[in-house]
Amino acid sequence: MSSDILSFIIFLPAVVAFGLMLTTRDVNTIRNIAFLTTTVILALVLKIYIEFEPSAGMQFVTNVPWISTYGINYYVGLDGFSLTILMMIAILIPTSYLLLWEGKTKGYWINMLLVQAGVTGTLLSLDVVLFYFFWEVMLLPVFLMIGLYGTGRKVFTTIKVTVYTMVGSLLMFIAILYLGVAYHAEFGSWSFAYNELMKITTIGYSAKVWLFLAFLTAFAIKIPIFPLHTWIMETYKNAPTGAVFLLSSIMAKLGVYAIVRFMIPIFPEIYIEFSVYFVSIGLFGLVYFGIAALMQDDIKRMFAYSSASHLSFIAAGIFSLNAYGINGALYLIIAHAIATGALFLLVGLLEEQTGYKTIKDLGGIAKQAPIFTFIFAIMLFANVGLPGTNGFVSELLIIFGIYEFNNILGYISATTVIIGASYMLWMFQRAILQDRPEGATVLKMRDLKIKEIVGLAPWVFLVFLMGFYPDIFINKFEPTVTHYLNDILHIGAAK
Amino acid sequence: MSQFIYLIPALTVLIGALTLMFMSMYDRFTVKNFIVVSSLFLLVALGFSIADMGTSYSVQPYNDLLNNVLIFDSFSNFFNVLLITGTLLTLLIGEHYFQHRSYFKGEFFSILLFALFGMMLLAHTNELVTAYIALEIASFAVYIMVGYNTEDSKRVEAIFKYLVLGSFIGAFYLLGVVLVYGAAASTNLSDIATFISTANSDDMILLYIGLTLILFTFLFKIAAFPFQSWVLDVYRGAPMVITAYMASTFKIAIFSFFLRAFVQDLAPTIDFWDTIISIIIVLTLIFGTWLAVSQKIVKRMLAASSIVHTGYLLLAFIALSYKDGELINIESAYATMFYLIAYLLSALGAFGLASHIISETNVRVTYDDFKGLAKERPFLAAMMTIFLFSLAGIPSTIGFIGKFYVFTEAVNAGYVGLTVLAVIATIVSVYYYFKLIAMMYFYPTKEECISVEFNDKRVSTYAIAFIAILTVLGGIGSAIVFFIPVLNIDSIIALAQTAVQSLFIK
Repeated sequence: MSSDILSFIIFLPAVVAFGLMLTTRDVNTIRNIAFLTTTVILALVLKIYIEFEPSAGMQFVTNVPWISTYGINYYVGLDGFSLTILMMIAILIPTSYLLLWEGKTKGYWINMLLVQAGVTGTLLSLDVVLFYFFWEVMLLPVFLMIGLYGTGRKVFTTIKVTVYTMVGSLLMFIAILYLGVAYHAEFGSWSFAYNELMKITTIGYSAKVWLFLAFLTAFAIKIPIFPLHTWIMETYKNAPTGAVFLLSSIMAKLGVYAIVRFMIPIFPEIYIEFSVYFVSIGLFGLVYFGIAALMQDDIKRMFAYSSASHLSFIAAGIFSLNAYGINGALYLIIAHAIATGALFLLVGLLEEQTGYKTIKDLGGIAKQAPIFTFIFAIMLFANVGLPGTNGFVSELLIIFGIYEFNNILGYISATTVIIGASYMLWMFQRAILQDRPEGATVLKMRDLKIKEIVGLAPWVFLVFLMGFYPDIFINKFEPTVTHYLNDILHIGAAK
Repeated sequence: MSQFIYLIPALTVLIGALTLMFMSMYDRFTVKNFIVVSSLFLLVALGFSIADMGTSYSVQPYNDLLNNVLIFDSFSNFFNVLLITGTLLTLLIGEHYFQHRSYFKGEFFSILLFALFGMMLLAHTNELVTAYIALEIASFAVYIMVGYNTEDSKRVEAIFKYLVLGSFIGAFYLLGVVLVYGAAASTNLSDIATFISTANSDDMILLYIGLTLILFTFLFKIAAFPFQSWVLDVYRGAPMVITAYMASTFKIAIFSFFLRAFVQDLAPTIDFWDTIISIIIVLTLIFGTWLAVSQKIVKRMLAASSIVHTGYLLLAFIALSYKDGELINIESAYATMFYLIAYLLSALGAFGLASHIISETNVRVTYDDFKGLAKERPFLAAMMTIFLFSLAGIPSTIGFIGKFYVFTEAVNAGYVGLTVLAVIATIVSVYYYFKLIAMMYFYPTKEECISVEFNDKRVSTYAIAFIAILTVLGGIGSAIVFFIPVLNIDSIIALAQTAVQSLFIK
């Protein structure tokens, strides 16, 4: 029965959400129960983390038929890679509750729970149709959150983000069907499990490239990779803090995760062949989004670009075809999720308190809210990759990886990191540290409450722990990466 | 007696129609009485049909009397269950609507049951002229029902357009039958099958021309591209409940006959129309999508999007193919049938719910009028959302599984290009369906649309809720969530399989 623990983690938030939807109207009760649910999940995930065997491949597997006519199974399980992200989700979400604590409505919390069910399901599914199922479903609560609680041109934003991501998803859907049909034609039975689809040998080269691109479109939109990023600016600007947090620190990472989980095993040779383009696109995105971030005045938009910039860097690492790069990318996924998540939530708080989110209107925050500024600074440094933080370790690993992949690209990547530092620190100086111009009224900004500090403390702790002792984390997923490189890509884990 | 048992569902409906006709001569029956009586007859018919569900059989009872024109098998039974369910749900959804419109009198329910009788006959028929008669029984009943809305000036246009065009296309059908008869010297499908197996290619020309003309009728009735012009105006002018009925149930009846004909007896000819139908699918999808995007009135948008769904259905239909004496890709027949169920539920739900909302006030017609529905009546808005998700094919609804089957089979049959186009149409459909959801949830209510206290605890609401539950259940399958294997998605496919296999019992 222990293998059902994953299903429990996936469906508990959804069940609780529907239960709350029907039973009570009291916002505080709903929020407290929702928070309790997320902490229960955190406890369960910790249990999994302890029981997990790094070298043992897929674990906690549940595999039961769902639609047996087409061989679609309810197939969930986790390996070192998904465990790391699961851990990340389980830690981030309860904390985000603490920062979003006040002034939300019933629908907000219920949607937060539903998103958690969706992302966990996406993360753990090993059957592509099941994966697609959760991949689509996790978007719907976010759609509602942006539309209901967003600002500005929120309806336009919701429709845009939905249709945009749907384009990618449905292209992937066709690719999934094509793979399933090819499997059926070759083996005479239906299956959509990723480890079965890996066995297909009959698809021709050009068809394979198309399938690869169809999958990539879906994931690249979610991540986003240049040039499929145009939805995020509007969305991050208009969406409520919770939705931005979920999109940037969790869902974007699932796009990267999905590349590793499905695209590498199913199209290994295409992946190797095209990797140089994607590393280049990744680095280009890093620079492009970085320069764009420099020019932003709206903090949320700036973070949107910054986030896109880092994710491009992660994508470059993923495509670098060696253990350094991929380990670094996985590490940066976690590091970035923590740092960006915290920054978006803090900016959400800032906007809620002062009423401003433009850099030129802000200032003098440091005097008003020292603890806020302190934590803000730590997260900022982690984001920039200052030594001692987790950002440093991961960026270093990725740069090593890219250098090993291609020397010239390696040099480029090492120099581009400076862009990230420049826009972040410049923003920090203008919006937080520097006093407002003379004559302007002092902004009202309360400092963090105990509850919020307690919520953020584990993140701060993790930033440094991951920065000083990366091994204890990397050891959990390194065997998986090695397995990928040796057994799937057959290029060996270069060390 | 043992043979008689197969006739019971159809006869029950016929007797019900006649009973209601007699009842309508008396003034003292209220509309409510009529609804109760017709529901009872439908329930009896449904009970007898469901009893046979899942068993595989094929009989031709009273052969000397019926002369081989009607066939009773699992296939027709499958469709009977769908048709009766569709009619019953239409009736229940419209319960409030019928009672608050002065023009719904007793005869209406009689006509509704006559329409159902015609459709059920169509599912049973094994012969071209009988099919025409059955089709006309159903069509004429629907013509009358389309014109029922005496308060709406659009109804004249609707009924006239539908009647004239319908009769016109009926003439094509008859000419087709004549040509087929000229070639095969019979209008019975099994005789035509014998003819096809022995004829040389020169003899086949006449048959192909005849069948093409008959196919035109099919395309007209399901509103595929060159024959779709009637849909918007007819759906617009008809009473909302009837629109729901036409869009879902009537379409199923049309498919029942043509699926039977082309899977069973006319199978060897099926690849002849592949190119034509491919083009029709492309045009249907493009045109339907364009039409749906440009609509401002929700009813017309739903009508236009039903054209797009016709495109998906044809995609599964075209995936059927014939090779070396047997039908290959028979799975796409199951996919078609599954999609019909999916579309029945979601379209009936969406149209029905729109009619339910309109039945209290006449304002909620355009997109704007739906603004703020979620705040005012969250329950109805949530159900509408489920139906729109299902129509758009979002996972966790039956519409997704339906699309999954159809697209898988189309790819399996090698129509990758068409599938990509269908998926693009789906992407656009996300836009126009989600626009309505956005209207319901993200805007404040318009002043003039705030309705007076409305009692939601009534039959209509329960019927819609029932459909919503089925829609979700069909998309998730009960096996995973509730660990009940009986109601799983596979069992629906198994029913479709049994139904199609019964066509080959000789």
